[in-house]
Amino acid sequence: MTPTSDLDRVTMIVLRYMRRPLFVLLFVYSVGILGMALMPGRIVDGETTRMTLFHAFYFFTYTATTTGFGELPNGFSEEQRLWTIFCLYTGVIAWFYAIGSLIHLVQNPHFIQAMDGFRFARKVKGNAEPFVILCGFGDAGSLLARGLSDHRMRAVILDADPERIKALGVRDYTVPMPGLHADASVPKHLLAAGVEHPACRALVALTNDDDVNVKIAVMARHLNPRLRVICRSTSARHEANLRALDNVTVVDPFEIFAQLVSWAIARPALHNLNAWFVGARGVELGVPVQAPRGNWILCGYGRMGSWIHRHLRAHGLEVRIIDPEVEADQIDEGTLIVRAHADHAALTSAAIEDAAGVIAATSGDGDNLSTLLSVTELNPRAFRIVRQNRHENQVAFDAARADLVLQHSLTTARRILKLLISPLVQSLIDWLADRDPAETRALVVRLKAALGEAPPHLWSVRLLPEEAPAVIDHLAAGKGLALGALCVDARAYPARLPCEALAVHRNGASTMLPASTLSLRAGDEVLFCGTPEAESMLRATLHNPYTLDFVVTGEEAPRGYLFAWLDARRRRGPRPRP
Amino acid sequence: MNLERVVFGFFIILTLSLNAAFVAGGLETVAHHNVWILTVTIIVNLVAIGLKLGDRSQTGALLLAAGLVAGLLLVTARIVWIVADPEGGGGPGPAEMADIVSIATGALVANVIATVILVGDTLLSRR
Repeated sequence: MTPTSDLDRVTMIVLRYMRRPLFVLLFVYSVGILGMALMPGRIVDGETTRMTLFHAFYFFTYTATTTGFGELPNGFSEEQRLWTIFCLYTGVIAWFYAIGSLIHLVQNPHFIQAMDGFRFARKVKGNAEPFVILCGFGDAGSLLARGLSDHRMRAVILDADPERIKALGVRDYTVPMPGLHADASVPKHLLAAGVEHPACRALVALTNDDDVNVKIAVMARHLNPRLRVICRSTSARHEANLRALDNVTVVDPFEIFAQLVSWAIARPALHNLNAWFVGARGVELGVPVQAPRGNWILCGYGRMGSWIHRHLRAHGLEVRIIDPEVEADQIDEGTLIVRAHADHAALTSAAIEDAAGVIAATSGDGDNLSTLLSVTELNPRAFRIVRQNRHENQVAFDAARADLVLQHSLTTARRILKLLISPLVQSLIDWLADRDPAETRALVVRLKAALGEAPPHLWSVRLLPEEAPAVIDHLAAGKGLALGALCVDARAYPARLPCEALAVHRNGASTMLPASTLSLRAGDEVLFCGTPEAESMLRATLHNPYTLDFVVTGEEAPRGYLFAWLDARRRRGPRPRP
Repeated sequence: MNLERVVFGFFIILTLSLNAAFVAGGLETVAHHNVWILTVTIIVNLVAIGLKLGDRSQTGALLLAAGLVAGLLLVTARIVWIVADPEGGGGPGPAEMADIVSIATGALVANVIATVILVGDTLLSRR
């Protein structure tokens, strides 16, 4: 069998549909034109005139399409008029039939889909900007697309649900985001979405079905082994499988969520810093949520609940569990378990009155909200963390005034966005999580000193000839360059720009929170956090050799040949007398 | 204060001022335009170009380009003057004078651009 493309399919469908109407038209035209040419016309000078074939065709064309110019080019005889009647009826009927078939064709769902696929593939192929393939456009997918659009990163979207792709058409993204209603685990569709396209940066598998995600990841790996794949997975079996593949990052929404919950309780400064970096609503740097330590009640022990439990235990917190279906052997000895729905009675038997806080983490938004109501009534002082499952319930959760609302589709989308846009930020957060909390607090103090109340602006700089020509020349001349010198404000030497270097990436290894004395090398990637103004000043320093020289030495070097020569003479000093 | 900036700024702004002094007046009136001012403008402009040689920055390159454009136009204006006034007597006629002054006005535009770049660069980049 020969391979077919979408264009072949479109042509094939058109041909199949239009074959019969075209034959009918051809037949009617042939008969009509031949008959018209054969009909005897008026008798002029004793001779019967006849239409030429061309005139017959001309006549039939305007008759069949009901244009009707009259008897052209000469008046007709009665025989010709009889034949004209025949031509008119058959021609018009044939045309109606052909046009009807055409309309039927463009309404055919297979045809529409084939055309969509063809247009989509053409759009992706013609795109020269870097883009990401996004498989699955549910809650997390649409949030991720919104985040990518804020960062002016293009995405190509595949989803099996036609309604979601239709919804995509009415979003106001800042960059084009072509979408196709198709099963992303079919390699043909991945190819159409540009999995082998040179501008494709990554593939994100975010459908709700773990098996489909794994299938997409595996297909993409085979089609383009160099492509970065980020795959959502909630099952341990798939995760082990996927982590064995290089270039594949596994993102488990439940694990990310549980990690954030445990940080909110046990590492408030880190949670605050992370939320500030991702630009969460109403977060102020250095003002973390004040979750008390002590006994916590966890409502819901499903896949997410077990992750939360594991993380909280790792931070040394006491947890009581309320869940109707929990098995005792899943949980270590000594943990209080209440087998019930989290209502008044269950909360009371879990000793809500002396609990420090409650985490409502079931998969039902209604259950979680009703648990919140009960908690407020039984112990108003308890800290309330709630899981929001569906984005559409936002207003209800806002009204519930919980101390912390976490939405797992949002946390997942933000994590993936960080991995795509600035992977060094995620490495930094992970690094801080493994370190002493004092380091996080020290970083927060530094960032506050540098930025004040300004929102975070993250950018990274690669010391490459196209991005930092002055630095490359400076280093090539054998002069050293310390990281701290780059952050100096050339307008107010030796004051510093409002920015902090967060990480330096060199030869595949990263140095987190580098010292300002760290000497830079060509090819390094440096992650900065500061204000947009600091970025433009710093980029100017990277491009201008004189500014760079000034921030390093504090002295303004001569520019023209004449003054450089004078300067060199002055430095040598007066020539010693012989 | 940087001596190089003072010297370079002096020559750039002097070129602009002299150029304006030459152009000022009626377009075709020979008495309003002095050939000495035009000649001095060319010399000052050439010095400014010489001072910019060797600058590796982007603004330096742009200033050099603006200086070269001004120099080219001023020299052209001076050559037209020589051709139109071979005797060295009463100066060029009204038609030739109009040509000379319009070419020098073109040079004035290039000098204005150079001055704007110089001032802008100084205000934006440092202290």
